[in-house]
Amino acid sequence: MLAGDRLRNPDVARARFVPRAALAGIVATFLVSSVSPAQNMRVVATTGDLASLARAVVGDLAQVETIIPPAADPEAFEPRPSDLARLKGASVVVRVGLGYDHWLDKLLSMLGDAAINRGGAGYVDASVGIPLLEVKGSSVDPANRDGHAHGLANPHYWLDPANAEIITGGIAEAGIRVAPEAAAKIIANRDSFLARLKADLVEWEQLLAPHRAARLIAYHNTWPYFARRFRLNIVDVIEIKEGVAPSPARLAKLAATIREQKIRVIVHEPFEPEEASQLLARRTGAVVVKLAPSVGSVPAATDFRALFDYNVATLARALSAASN
Amino acid sequence: MFEDVLAFAALPLAAAIVFTGIHTWFGLQVLRRNVVFADLALAQVSALGATVAVVAGHAVQSAAGYAYTLIFTAVGALLLTASRGFARSVRQEAFIGVLYVVATAATVLVVDRSPQGAEHVKKMLVGGILSVTADELVKFIILYSIIGAIHWLLRRPLLAAADHMETSTDIGKFAFWDLVFYLSFGVVVTSSVATAGVLLVFCFLIVPALVGSLFSSHIGVALVIGWIAGAAASAAGIFGSFLLDAPTGAVTVVTFAAVLLVAGAIRAFITAPAAERSRNRQRGLHVGGLVLCLLIGLSGAWVVVAPAGDHPILAMIETAAGLGPDRFMSPSERADYLEAAAIERRHKGEIDRLYDRERQSRWQGDELTPDEIRRIGSMQQTLTEMGRGERFVMDYLRTRGRERERWYVGLPLAAIGFIAAATIARRARRAR
Repeated sequence: MLAGDRLRNPDVARARFVPRAALAGIVATFLVSSVSPAQNMRVVATTGDLASLARAVVGDLAQVETIIPPAADPEAFEPRPSDLARLKGASVVVRVGLGYDHWLDKLLSMLGDAAINRGGAGYVDASVGIPLLEVKGSSVDPANRDGHAHGLANPHYWLDPANAEIITGGIAEAGIRVAPEAAAKIIANRDSFLARLKADLVEWEQLLAPHRAARLIAYHNTWPYFARRFRLNIVDVIEIKEGVAPSPARLAKLAATIREQKIRVIVHEPFEPEEASQLLARRTGAVVVKLAPSVGSVPAATDFRALFDYNVATLARALSAASN
Repeated sequence: MFEDVLAFAALPLAAAIVFTGIHTWFGLQVLRRNVVFADLALAQVSALGATVAVVAGHAVQSAAGYAYTLIFTAVGALLLTASRGFARSVRQEAFIGVLYVVATAATVLVVDRSPQGAEHVKKMLVGGILSVTADELVKFIILYSIIGAIHWLLRRPLLAAADHMETSTDIGKFAFWDLVFYLSFGVVVTSSVATAGVLLVFCFLIVPALVGSLFSSHIGVALVIGWIAGAAASAAGIFGSFLLDAPTGAVTVVTFAAVLLVAGAIRAFITAPAAERSRNRQRGLHVGGLVLCLLIGLSGAWVVVAPAGDHPILAMIETAAGLGPDRFMSPSERADYLEAAAIERRHKGEIDRLYDRERQSRWQGDELTPDEIRRIGSMQQTLTEMGRGERFVMDYLRTRGRERERWYVGLPLAAIGFIAAATIARRARRAR
């Protein structure tokens, strides 16, 4: 299936997004009262990626804030009192889910605002509806008893730009639930963003097309969605358990794999310790390429589209240089 | 592969031996001064300096980065020197502890202002001795040789300052030598912690010095024994981490502890004076036997009391004796147990097969559609749940087996263990 088809024919998005005819009705009803309380809408997202997508959807209708600071390791994040203050009075809360931002549950239950807690009008678990990879089983989280117990899976799904359609769908639905009078604006924003993203995706896929099935080693298992979208083969990862340094036997095995399969590139994230990757690179002649796992991880990744501009261009450059 | 193993092991081992060389000397002085945790405090203060440098926009390895680290280390050394003056009524260790926690907390606060420092702090704790480079090693050798030479020349006043920790009332007389000691200690610890991490450096510092002190009160002899012990522990740790396929730093810390245990045993049972030796041997046998018998007795009693609980010692005995938990089940229970185990294995295999299929499709052949991906995901989830169900069945049947086992195994085990323990205790009392 071509990239264009994928975005044009969004089974999923259609299933979870309010049918357009009905929306048109809602829009007509609310067009009369066009000075809206939506100006006071405040969206809080846990990560920079979701915040960037939320910004694309709500445009100037709302202020969008992020909890995890840019360039921090999101998987090692611990919330501060100011984060509670930030969540207070938010109209919409957008989270990654799948246990990635588990600390949000505690903050939300401390606030006790039903509208932004699980099941509330302003609560968005962006993972709902995503075709998840590497599913491990059900969540056993006791807070998760609304029958929505979706699997625990690899949580880095925003790294497939095609998933932006589903993510923005969820955000748009919540935005319209909270501020129905802004529906037309929200839908228009989302449509134009997705149209631009669709064009971008074609370009990104073209850039990486010559490197189809390229073999890579990654430091952390961050890239399965990215690999699926751009048809890359991530042969192995260096760090199997978060925060535990790889053993020397594992490094020796990886060095052998890199040589046998002629792997030229090791994908690394800016906030992970670099030693193991550099050591492997020195031993095997592969190069370490720093890709941004999130918006803000590197200065160039200023928003969702820039994130892929940066990652795709950096990776394509490294793979071209390596194949020469 | 073998070449890689050698290449991955040779440099870290060389680095570990170099670290042992300088740290054993400092460790002996630290033991004399009774300031065991001074290295943690100094390392943390220098880590704070490095973190401040990172936040101020300098690389840790740049000249500015070193300057920040050194200035903070010097301040730490001054504070430690001054702490001897405070420590008249209270032990100096208390001040060192406060310095450590304050420096750690300050590092967290500084990192919190700038997330880029987090990686640095993570590295400080865990270290990366595995990835030490030849250039770094040469730098260490040069730096430590210079400091070692200075200490050799100044050994008399330095040791005098260390030996007069408790008796001295004339603080000013030793303050200068204390400062020299802490400054050079700070420089050493700062550079070694950046490579080996806080935990491992603590081992390099204290364990060989302890082993040396066990065998000799002469500092030169203790130093040589410490070097041998440290080198042996480093080699065991690095090769052990290959064999066990486990992180090097953590394995090396464990082997250092093991070397300390072995050295303690040698000291008590082999090299001690003859009379003391035979008493130690007898005492060791009594205590060891008592602990073992009590463990066996308690484990047996625990099976009788709570057959459904966790039984690590019993499981160990079962594994060692080749007895499965199915031994005490009825034939039909055993059949169910084995079937559940087989089904669970099959589910696991199926989950892996699905995972491989999805993984291959990322780059090979036709891309899977989102719905196909969802189907695979929900199948994996279902199979995981079903596997959990089989495990529940197995746990239930194992508990049924244990409920019978408690009379056949638990009761005799408890009886044997407790009777043997009582016998040993009576003998030990008579021997005294």
